[in-house]
Amino acid sequence: MSLQITYEAPLEEAVARICELLQGRYPFSKRAVALLLLQGDAEMQAEVAATEESKSYELVQEIVRQTQAGYQRPLNFVIAQWRQQATADLAADVVGQQAQSPGRSLADWLGWLTMWPVTGIPILAVVLYFGLYQFVGVFGAGTVVDFLEATLFAGYINPWVNSTVQIHVPWMVLQSLIAGDYGIITLGVRYAVAIILPIVGSFFLVFSVIEDSGYLPRLAMLVDWLFKRIGLNGRAVIPMALGFGCDTMATLVSRTLETRREKLIATLLLALAIPCSAQLGVILALLSGRPTAMALWAGFLLLVFLLVGYLTSRLLPGSRPSFYLELPPLRLPQWRNVLAKTLIRMQWYFIEVFPLFVLASVLLWAGQITGAFGVIISWLTPVVEWIGLPGETARVFLFGFFRRDYGAAGLYDMAGTLTGQQLVVAAATLTLFVPCIAQFSMMLKERGWKATLAIVVFIFPFAFVAGYVLNLALTWLGVAA
Amino acid sequence: MAGSCHGSPGEVGPTGLPKVVLVGAPNVGKSVLFNLLTGAYVTVSNYPGTTVEVSRGRGRAGECEFEVIDTPGMYSLLGISEEEQVSRRLLWQERPDLVVHVMEARAMDRSLSLTLQLLEAGLTVILVVNILDEARRLGLEVDLEKLSRRLGIPVVGTAAVRGQGVDLLKKAIVERLTGRPAERVAV
Repeated sequence: MSLQITYEAPLEEAVARICELLQGRYPFSKRAVALLLLQGDAEMQAEVAATEESKSYELVQEIVRQTQAGYQRPLNFVIAQWRQQATADLAADVVGQQAQSPGRSLADWLGWLTMWPVTGIPILAVVLYFGLYQFVGVFGAGTVVDFLEATLFAGYINPWVNSTVQIHVPWMVLQSLIAGDYGIITLGVRYAVAIILPIVGSFFLVFSVIEDSGYLPRLAMLVDWLFKRIGLNGRAVIPMALGFGCDTMATLVSRTLETRREKLIATLLLALAIPCSAQLGVILALLSGRPTAMALWAGFLLLVFLLVGYLTSRLLPGSRPSFYLELPPLRLPQWRNVLAKTLIRMQWYFIEVFPLFVLASVLLWAGQITGAFGVIISWLTPVVEWIGLPGETARVFLFGFFRRDYGAAGLYDMAGTLTGQQLVVAAATLTLFVPCIAQFSMMLKERGWKATLAIVVFIFPFAFVAGYVLNLALTWLGVAA
Repeated sequence: MAGSCHGSPGEVGPTGLPKVVLVGAPNVGKSVLFNLLTGAYVTVSNYPGTTVEVSRGRGRAGECEFEVIDTPGMYSLLGISEEEQVSRRLLWQERPDLVVHVMEARAMDRSLSLTLQLLEAGLTVILVVNILDEARRLGLEVDLEKLSRRLGIPVVGTAAVRGQGVDLLKKAIVERLTGRPAERVAV
């Protein structure tokens, strides 16, 4: 017979009386059902109300009320405390402290240093510099992309595809579907394989190492005070940090946040101000030779992130969340798990992304052929010119509508023609601009169409107005980026 | 024969296999055990809340086949967060043949409360005390046999990341599912 705990007399009495009233068959024992009812569990109340005759359910409710009346504290607290006592006794009986605790280990010290602001903020800066900037930006988006893009695609694949198509495909229309400026292979596959995949892959590798080390929950402690001001708490660090990898994945993970309000704020901020790794990598690579431009871009996004978060948390009703997060120990990541996880995520991403890249190529091709593309660009052109960009960047924003990273990759293509200030404005506006199609559908799934629609309606004009303000500010201040 | 290990009259799922559900607090290694039991791969990390959705896979031990279900972390049957509610609902609706409660050796004083609640609910439970290696390094010794005696259920000690104790867990699962008297196992 397995161990059953006995609660104090008034509780046991109530449980016995409720059990007598319960006639239905339940997946859990009647005793457990009775205890959940005493703890005020809403789902159990609905379950029992639906199963029992209304008369006996009323009697059950009456017993719960009477029992509660006998206590100062809520019953769920009383019951939890009683269990805690039983559990502590049990644990004390079977867990022995053999040796003296070896004092603070190196991992404990390191863990503490990451959470103490004086050392924690520099540590965060180091992690960001080496993990994000050096590895993802310089290595992934620079070295690896250069090789794949310039050497492999521009040098071999694209010329070969272009000439093969010209020889074997007699129709111009079909030629441009496969090859040329908007071809499936020369544009879609090239973007997916040569630009996006290495960046996303290197980000996921860094992220896997960081998450397995146990650093993220400590980062959560470090920034908790800041996040509280924008209506979130430290818990939201995890979806936010994951957002730098893929905002779609992060939107899914935002369900670990406790309240509806927090989830909504997190979803909005992810859609607005957190660039995904593909975007980030391309932008880091674009701005890597221009430290001022990079600082302006990052500073501006941080400002938008905090400002919008702060305003939303003011506008949305609801209380500030409390914060409790279990701190796992710092551990050395196991390389097998890191590799397996990186590969799984890359695979997830590639399966998600690849068809959309091809689809986008086809749509762009169709748009080109039918002239619809030209019409939309002609609408977008004055908007991008309004924020100080050359009219040709309209194309990039149209790409960005299909996927965040697609737009960023498009920007990468035309970087040579832009001034520093234009690059900053374009990068910032593009980061703020629409969530990609995948993220959009995840938002629909997680938050419902009302919230999603509200977010998108907000983001569209906001991105361009913010770009306009940024451009104006840069011109006024005369900052040479 | 696949069905031969089905000893208890639980609801048989679409797979026709007995159901084994992994539950426990966040970040105690449920997903690592899931991967080891099924040979599949779900994402494992070192922070609470990695698993937000239920994963299902097929496990095998000896001649016995079963469905393994990985759940988001829960501290108590009285679900507060959305993940906890997901896990509670799963226990309620799926009528598992066996619940494997995974806990971390260092946090037993906080975790055993859920074991008591699972037993209270009349579920068939195996307790897994995981991350024993780290606990030992901290000088903690857990008397698994005594714990098993006091709870009246099988208790298995593991260090799942290193694959230690998984065979014992498989053995305990088979014994529970076939209804043969469970041997008290410890590392």
